[in-house]
Amino acid sequence: MTVSDYKALKEIVGEEYVLTDLEQTGAYMYDEVEKAFRPDAALDSIVVKPADTAEISSIVKYADTHDIPFLVRGGGTGLAGGCTPVVESIIISMERLNRIIEIDDKNMVAVLESGVTLMQLLEELEKYDGLSFPVHPGDEGAQMGGMAVTNAGGARAVRHGVMRKHIMGIEVVLPNGEILELGGKLIKNNAGYNLCQLILGSEGTLAIVTKVILKIYPKDNYSCTIVAPFERFRDACDAVTDILKSGTLPLAVEYMDKRLFTGTAEMLGLEWQAKDGNADLMIILSEQTEDRLFDAVRVINDICEKHDCYETLIAEKKAEQDELLLIRSEHYNFIVNDICDSFDYAVPVSCIPAFISDLKALAASYNTGNNIVAHIADGNVHGDMWYVDGKTPEYADEYKRKMYDLVFKYNGTITGEHGIGKIRREDLKLQLSETELSLMRGIKNVFDPKGLLNPGTVL
Amino acid sequence: MKNNEILVLAEQNYGKIHPVTYELIGKGSELAAKTGGFVSCLLVGPSGIPCEELCYRGASPVYYMEAHCFENADEMLFKENIVSALKDIHPQMVLIGATTFGRSLAPRIAGALNTGLTADCTDLQVDEDGRIIQIRPAFSDNILAHIKTVTDPQMATIRYKEFNEADRDTTRSVDIRKLTPACTVSGIEILSTQELGGVDVTKADVIVAAGRGFKKKEDLVLAEDLAKTLGGVMAASRALVDAGMVSSQIQVGYSGHRVKPKIYIACGISGAPQHLAGMKESGTIIAINSDPSAPIFKVADIGYVGDLYEILPMLTERFRKERTK
Amino acid sequence: MKILVLIKEVPDMQKVEFDSERGRVNRANAPAEINPFDENALETACELKKAREDVDVTALTMGPPRAEGSLRIAYARGADHGILLTDAKFGGADTCATSKTLAAAIRKKGGYDLILCGEKSVDGDTAQVGAEVAEFLGIPHCYYVEKIDKLTSGHIEVTAEDLWGMKQTRRMPLPALVSVTKNITTPKLPTVRRRLESREIEIERMNLSSLEDILTPEETGAKGSPTKVNKVVIPPEVKRESVVFREEPDGFMDALASVFLEKGLV
Repeated sequence: MTVSDYKALKEIVGEEYVLTDLEQTGAYMYDEVEKAFRPDAALDSIVVKPADTAEISSIVKYADTHDIPFLVRGGGTGLAGGCTPVVESIIISMERLNRIIEIDDKNMVAVLESGVTLMQLLEELEKYDGLSFPVHPGDEGAQMGGMAVTNAGGARAVRHGVMRKHIMGIEVVLPNGEILELGGKLIKNNAGYNLCQLILGSEGTLAIVTKVILKIYPKDNYSCTIVAPFERFRDACDAVTDILKSGTLPLAVEYMDKRLFTGTAEMLGLEWQAKDGNADLMIILSEQTEDRLFDAVRVINDICEKHDCYETLIAEKKAEQDELLLIRSEHYNFIVNDICDSFDYAVPVSCIPAFISDLKALAASYNTGNNIVAHIADGNVHGDMWYVDGKTPEYADEYKRKMYDLVFKYNGTITGEHGIGKIRREDLKLQLSETELSLMRGIKNVFDPKGLLNPGTVL
Repeated sequence: MKNNEILVLAEQNYGKIHPVTYELIGKGSELAAKTGGFVSCLLVGPSGIPCEELCYRGASPVYYMEAHCFENADEMLFKENIVSALKDIHPQMVLIGATTFGRSLAPRIAGALNTGLTADCTDLQVDEDGRIIQIRPAFSDNILAHIKTVTDPQMATIRYKEFNEADRDTTRSVDIRKLTPACTVSGIEILSTQELGGVDVTKADVIVAAGRGFKKKEDLVLAEDLAKTLGGVMAASRALVDAGMVSSQIQVGYSGHRVKPKIYIACGISGAPQHLAGMKESGTIIAINSDPSAPIFKVADIGYVGDLYEILPMLTERFRKERTK
Repeated sequence: MKILVLIKEVPDMQKVEFDSERGRVNRANAPAEINPFDENALETACELKKAREDVDVTALTMGPPRAEGSLRIAYARGADHGILLTDAKFGGADTCATSKTLAAAIRKKGGYDLILCGEKSVDGDTAQVGAEVAEFLGIPHCYYVEKIDKLTSGHIEVTAEDLWGMKQTRRMPLPALVSVTKNITTPKLPTVRRRLESREIEIERMNLSSLEDILTPEETGAKGSPTKVNKVVIPPEVKRESVVFREEPDGFMDALASVFLEKGLV
């Protein structure tokens, strides 16, 4: 880019909202992919911080006219390198589009600019009596636009599904700068192809999402977290499928290898209270009334007992539930120094026991181990690969390939929620057929014929 | 005749007079000036305490109940003897420091005298009828309740360091009246006594307090170094205690210690209400935080928005030089 | 060995709101919970129960009918019984009247060897009720206990912070009252089985007429309270000068140095 490009961009957004010095732009280059596996950023990229949709449209028109690649940065909490510029680009940071435009509690929707963070939304909803939004990918710094285009998941998908289920409409800027509104506050809408849903999950490659119309929900007033320890992993899995069959709908059903629960707790100066067993489930429930909550607790407890669990524990106080959740979410810091890559496979729920036992056997065949953390009732399994003597092992590619073969054996997917981004493009070819890939390329070409929007992502 | 005596229950700490006693004599004198009464002092302790000091501070008379057994920290002995003395003296008001001593003893004394007690007062005023308005914070210091007691004596415990010590004037007359203990044995056996060990954050003039902004236990050395250089001590917010990084002995906040140093430097502490309740009365509050919207800045006199990992070593260096100058 | 744990139901302090304009405390959005300090007392009792076969633990609370919920939680956490002391005539009690009423109920039930409570409540923060109850029962007490060293049928040995901030071990005859600090133990999670049971158990209720031979209406509630709250003020936020330096270490350090100089601390 040239000085005249900087000047033009400064004219659009204002002098102080264009960052060109690496000392300032450095913080905008990466997301949360492990250092060893993240893509190299094009450090000559610059950052612009538009104030609204119109400014974004002007930036995009300028980029289109001058053939400059561009991409969007949200909260930077992604796990696939989606917002890292791999060629010299204009990074459009959404941080100033952070207005909550409307909380409409008649239609139960929220209209938000896409830079609104999850934390901001949740804080705003706190002010209304009894409203909430269920999708929670873990990091509340995530922005609505990012959560939309990556179709974010998280632990609570058991009951509430993933992000696309909750989005009724979006406003987008197309790669030629044109502004479009797709969908709206409508429950039913069958007019033509659903372009809104096509853009959700496109990882910022088809259009720039500037506004999101989101479904909001009544808040559950009663919640609890159950810890159910089992001797055998198989029994824990059987309990999960029975729970899903029973009609009780937990918010989340989480599994972690026991040593992660105990080790993370110890790291935090806490104690993992389920001493018995080798396979612990953490089941989060929430309901509108206390009676309904305990009806569900009873059903779930009976199922766990039927599958030979040890004594189950319950947390109801917020502080106690938060502590359990903290142990669950901080496990990453317990293992972060040991792992060189992490995975996000998903398989049909019924295949989980066989899949995980195959994964453990595969690790053993390489004389290594793995940490398994799963949104188990979604069939979504996070696994990892360990450093050997502080380095990425030589067998890394071969090992990864064999893991994927296991995924495909069980008709699974290589990514349940993190997405392809820039780090799994080659891997995607292993999973999808050439026909599927070429249809996708065709769609990309319709939206972005010049290929300027977030090049090197997904396809 | 109405007795208008305001009695300060002196606190002796293994034979040494606790400074809260002088603060209460000072406040008591102020109230007495309005009620037309006088301030007296009851000291229950081992022999040999130089209690004319209490007179120099303005208490008269000073009742001194002296016995060997008061070397022991035995609530029952103190309670029995204080109650019997108060029944004879009949003061209109009894002031006690809200220290461990006061918190443990005052309720029993009030119970035995069948009178009301207001805990942890931060101010006392006199109403038009000469009764005392006792002002105490509640709900993590978010409210101030104004309380009156309808029975006599009106009893209150008052926070340490809330008032200035009474002036010392050795020309004041010394009126010491010795009392005989009513009982010298209780059923309690003290098996051992030892120092708690560690630092006492409530006594420090300078506190450097660390919060969530510190990522690792090892990093706390930055706060420790600064504290040492400034001649103060390190304290911590609850977050670090919960994370197992420091002992609860140095926790400042509602569920930890209340502190009132001359200078309080909060490093990487966001300033949750529970924390503020423990330190907002400090002389000068300095806040260091990378988040300019952190609530701690609202109570700070001087704030620094930036990285504590950079500024703390700079401060230590700067003050080290200042010292050696 | 009969152990009684005094518990208080308090609002979740994080959710209590303060209206400084009208001087009001709004607890409506704050769910009720067992005073966290009392949970330590309850856990201590349950640990004693695990260590000795003959221990029977009762949780006692005074409060409105809905405080029964806290007694059910106490059962889930390991108490054997719950007693709810509830009567409109108990309303408005200060610490003195509360202690008298609790002491009356304890006398009425009779036979407790050890009474445990938390070091203070998070809402009232007076730390008075424990010692006053002990006084009205005429039994010894010990505050700030961080360890129970020994419990026999006639005595208890504890480690506590003494009146003057030293660490003391002492032996007291039973019955006695002990208030525990947070350091004594960490409350454990209840089991699901016990929590489900707790929703079905019988909670014993006592009211003023259950105590009629021990407590008169003049000794309890607002009537029996020698202290009266005249008014509640929400203090204005202490305004401080708030000079803020952004990424200007030199200016900040100069300002700090002059504060130290001013206070004579350099």
